[in-house]
Amino acid sequence: MRLSLKSLRSWEGLLLVILIAVVALNIALSPVYLGVGNFINLFQLSIEKIIVALIMAFVIINGEIDLSVASVMGFAACVVAVVHENNALPFAAAVALALVVGALAGLVQGYFVAHMGLPSLAVTLAGLIGFRGMARMLVEDRSIGDFPEWFNALGQKPLLGPIPLALLIFVGMAVIAVIVLQSAAFGRYVTVIGNNADVARYSGIDVKRVKLSLFVLSGLVAALAGVLLAARLGAVRASTGEGFELDIITMVLLGGVSIFGGSGSLVGVGLSILIILNMRNGLGLANVEANTQTGIIGALLILSVLVPNLVNGLRRARVGRAGHT
Amino acid sequence: MSEATPLLEMRSISKRFDATQALDDVGLVLRAGEVHALLGENGAGKSTLIKIMTGIHPPDSGEILLDGKPVTLRSSADAQRVGIAAIYQEPMIFPDLNVAENIFIGHQNRGPIVNWGAMARDAERILGDLDIQLDVRTPARGLTLAAQQAVEVAKALSLQVRVLIMDEPTAALSAHEVAQLFKRVDKLKRQGVAILFISHRLDEVFQIADRVTVFRDGRHISTRPRAEVTPEGAIRDMVGRKMEDFFHRSERAFGDVLLRVDGLGRAGAFTGVSFEVKRGEVLGFAGLVGARRTDVGLALFGVAPADAGTITLAGQTVTIGSPQSAMSHGIAYVSEDRRQLGLSLPQSITANVTLATLKRYLSRLGLIKPVAEQATAAEFREKLSIRAASLEHPVGQLSGGNQQKVMLAKWLNLQPQVLILDEPTRGIDVGAKAEVHHIVDQLAQQGLAIILISSDLPEVLAMSDRVLVMREGRQVGIFEHGVATQEAVMTAAVGVA
Amino acid sequence: METLRRVLRPEQIRELSLALIIFVAVAFFSTQIENYLSGRFFVRVSTSVAITIVLATAQTLVILTRNIDLSIGSIVGVAAYVTGQVLGANPELSPLAAITVALIIGAGLGLINGLLVAYGRVPAIIVTLGTLAIYRTWLIDYAGAKTITADSLPQWLVDLPRLNLFSSGELDIRGLFVLAVVIAVLIQLALNYLPWGRRLYAIGSNPEAARMAGLPAPRLVVSAYAICGALAGLAGFMFLARFGTITVTAGQGLELQAVAAAVVGGVSTAGGSGTLLGALLGAVLIDTLNQSLTRMPGVSEFWRDALLGLLILVAVATDYVLMQRLRRLWIVDQLKARAAPTPAPEEHHAP
Repeated sequence: MRLSLKSLRSWEGLLLVILIAVVALNIALSPVYLGVGNFINLFQLSIEKIIVALIMAFVIINGEIDLSVASVMGFAACVVAVVHENNALPFAAAVALALVVGALAGLVQGYFVAHMGLPSLAVTLAGLIGFRGMARMLVEDRSIGDFPEWFNALGQKPLLGPIPLALLIFVGMAVIAVIVLQSAAFGRYVTVIGNNADVARYSGIDVKRVKLSLFVLSGLVAALAGVLLAARLGAVRASTGEGFELDIITMVLLGGVSIFGGSGSLVGVGLSILIILNMRNGLGLANVEANTQTGIIGALLILSVLVPNLVNGLRRARVGRAGHT
Repeated sequence: MSEATPLLEMRSISKRFDATQALDDVGLVLRAGEVHALLGENGAGKSTLIKIMTGIHPPDSGEILLDGKPVTLRSSADAQRVGIAAIYQEPMIFPDLNVAENIFIGHQNRGPIVNWGAMARDAERILGDLDIQLDVRTPARGLTLAAQQAVEVAKALSLQVRVLIMDEPTAALSAHEVAQLFKRVDKLKRQGVAILFISHRLDEVFQIADRVTVFRDGRHISTRPRAEVTPEGAIRDMVGRKMEDFFHRSERAFGDVLLRVDGLGRAGAFTGVSFEVKRGEVLGFAGLVGARRTDVGLALFGVAPADAGTITLAGQTVTIGSPQSAMSHGIAYVSEDRRQLGLSLPQSITANVTLATLKRYLSRLGLIKPVAEQATAAEFREKLSIRAASLEHPVGQLSGGNQQKVMLAKWLNLQPQVLILDEPTRGIDVGAKAEVHHIVDQLAQQGLAIILISSDLPEVLAMSDRVLVMREGRQVGIFEHGVATQEAVMTAAVGVA
Repeated sequence: METLRRVLRPEQIRELSLALIIFVAVAFFSTQIENYLSGRFFVRVSTSVAITIVLATAQTLVILTRNIDLSIGSIVGVAAYVTGQVLGANPELSPLAAITVALIIGAGLGLINGLLVAYGRVPAIIVTLGTLAIYRTWLIDYAGAKTITADSLPQWLVDLPRLNLFSSGELDIRGLFVLAVVIAVLIQLALNYLPWGRRLYAIGSNPEAARMAGLPAPRLVVSAYAICGALAGLAGFMFLARFGTITVTAGQGLELQAVAAAVVGGVSTAGGSGTLLGALLGAVLIDTLNQSLTRMPGVSEFWRDALLGLLILVAVATDYVLMQRLRRLWIVDQLKARAAPTPAPEEHHAP
């Protein structure tokens, strides 16, 4: 009993238990689950979201939120598509332009948050609506495809052994993210600011610069994810990536990152990503509709905070009663 | 007052939080019309007792008797209903509500519809009784700390309070404001209210209390009438050993002038501040709350840069526009508010100690070297005798005194030339206070120029070589040690001839 | 000056300036769009703004307590769909009964949110992001790709959006618009004059102080969510009446519009401050721009969202900067007033 309570108290422990249960269930229920192809596929279907989840973890640990990521993804994808459609630039330059546009989108929002002190919830809500609007201005109600062969291949075909480019990018970024958060000065500053920005300021940390760079990075990474999404889908619409922000934020919060900032680990986020992907995969193999999967993820998000709260409450009540007798 | 039935009696109260026995079989008796001081170091169990009295925590065992009858308090609403109210060091104000509403928000029985006119009148009456002048229709946001405290007293009074708990109500107040508060306390006492008064300032306790109770380590040590208590005896009961002198100060030799400030000012905050500090000197800053002493400190540290005057450091005129530039000039500022501005509470002692100097601990790849970082923290734990089980312990779980030392360590690690200490002993217990004084003395001996901002007048007088007095954003005088008597400094600070 | 300062708080100046912005926007559009200042255009805006006002009111109640409800778009969808289905199956149902069905569905879903936030102690943004997905998923599963169509609905409901309370010439005052405004006004009165309302402000303004003062914060939060849900249910009913055709995506994205209206109207996401008048003005501004831009020559309808995002950003930024300036001005003023010699306090209470 004591053991289980203790492991419950460690969030990563609980996530690990859930992950093992999900994987075990998948193995038991589906014969095709254990295959390299299925594993790659499992990542590939949500690869853009999990790339953005990495930077989102930093933003939330910093005590802010970026609701605009999915819109920036769509906007960047549309930039690539429209530049390509008009043959204005070589395709690689179009991709570079999209990345710059994403970084700029982050810069603008970051300026309002870091330098003017506006709440990021409001600023990035405006960004969510506004950047999607800009995507709509560019592409209107068309669907633009017909990208160069090499671009589509990068998005759809394996690059290294069975592994596609996007997955390589994710793994590389994940390693960098873990190192930065745990042992770079920047990571420590992000955490301290998330705990208490005033303490950071009074310690001589340039709070504005840290926040601004986070938002620029968030925009840049979202744009990269948008370009990868365009490559994978092979065609872009104004609504590309719409609603992704919910999944991304769910991955981060389920991973134990506090919505109030200041605490969270990337190990937790990694586990939560694996849980969500495996669960979706398993449900998909079991022919559960995508819609129902979304509902289940929503429930998981709530339960991820509710269950530990209830367990703690019960434990406290039991200790209280024990004290009385 | 009758000795027969006490107004409130706490009988054999025990309370345990996880591993710590916060209260162990303690008792306390409050009589109507008395001021009862409760003394004890941090961790002695005072706050736990208050939380039990106000219904926030239930006791594990023991009972609470009101007028001799047992009562059960399940929430602060329960406590209010029987007439128990508390005011805290940090006023519990609703910034968006106006003053009148702040006073009456907790009331259950003011009718089904809010009568704003009647509420304003009632609020004015209560504030008038207390000789407090405030526009009851202004939002509480923006009131001074003293004014917020006054609103708290009015709030407690509006509840027809019978037992009033005051938890360090004077910690953030100036001497003048403390005197006003004590007048109000006296008035309440004459109306038959029982007051439980908690303070770290012994002089105040002896000025106002009728009886004095001391707790130590969750146990009741003594309760005596004031006449039978001496400061030395009270301290002995609190710390369980004899305390040497309070304000440790050795003979010091000054070096040359290190920091020179001419006509420093910031619009809307302060103007015309000029002084110099030599190496090895402690310059005290005295004044009432609202005298803007902290603003001078913040200007020197670049948090709120000055817009007038010059700052000269070792003969060089410098511009300080941000904390980073202040730090590069060797200026460190230890904030008055360690929980909100000083420390990252959920993080480890090590992370806090190296927070301002993290760049020194980076490897060539830009990664933090954990061993070097921990070595520094361990060194300061030794030097400042920080008491903690582990350096990886979150700072938020340490006592106030140890937190203060961690904050000092963080800034000493910068190896500053100028150290600005803002209220370095606020809200820490007697033992830790003496230790901090000792550290300050040692630092001055090592040749640091120290600016000591403090509202604890005996402290600032004893520790400083000279005392600069401010009033309402202006410098009104500098007194040499010895000339600076309590009377002289107070007269200058209050501004009466 | 003293009385002016007392009457005109920074908050009121904000509402006045918002009204001014709406006025300027309308004046601008009237020079750009033909027949802009016509009764028909007013009718068009007022019909769409009615739903936004109700949702902004709902959202404001929750934001005041330092929480947020991102699930109201899904609640609108569920309430619209289920009410439509009930009416399709029982066409004889009275209007009042139909509204009650919508209110109960909304209140029930809001109650779930509130209980999870207040008693489960799960942060509001997590709970309502979750229920946003869950309620919608339930609706999609339940509906099974079937759509509610106008011809399955009773005639009174189809006619309801065109029901005029008052009309003169081209200018019609729609019943639903009046209903929305009346609801906002009534709830603002409740916020100002009922202890319940004041306590909503208090728990948002300083939760710790509220606990110390013995305010029943969990119950207040649950009540705010339940009423928010009920209002979203009502908005669902209005949605059903307005469009007649209800698919499973009905109401999607309305939660953002409601948050936007509240935020533009000066309701602070930090809780404890803001009024429904502000939220109402925010709703009017957003819908006016929405409806005007679609008719503006030279502006593609695809520009609408981009401009809307820009508007929210500008509104929040100017509002924030302005409020900080004003507050500082007000406080400095107070300090001066206090520093000035005051009459001896004894004069106020002769023995």
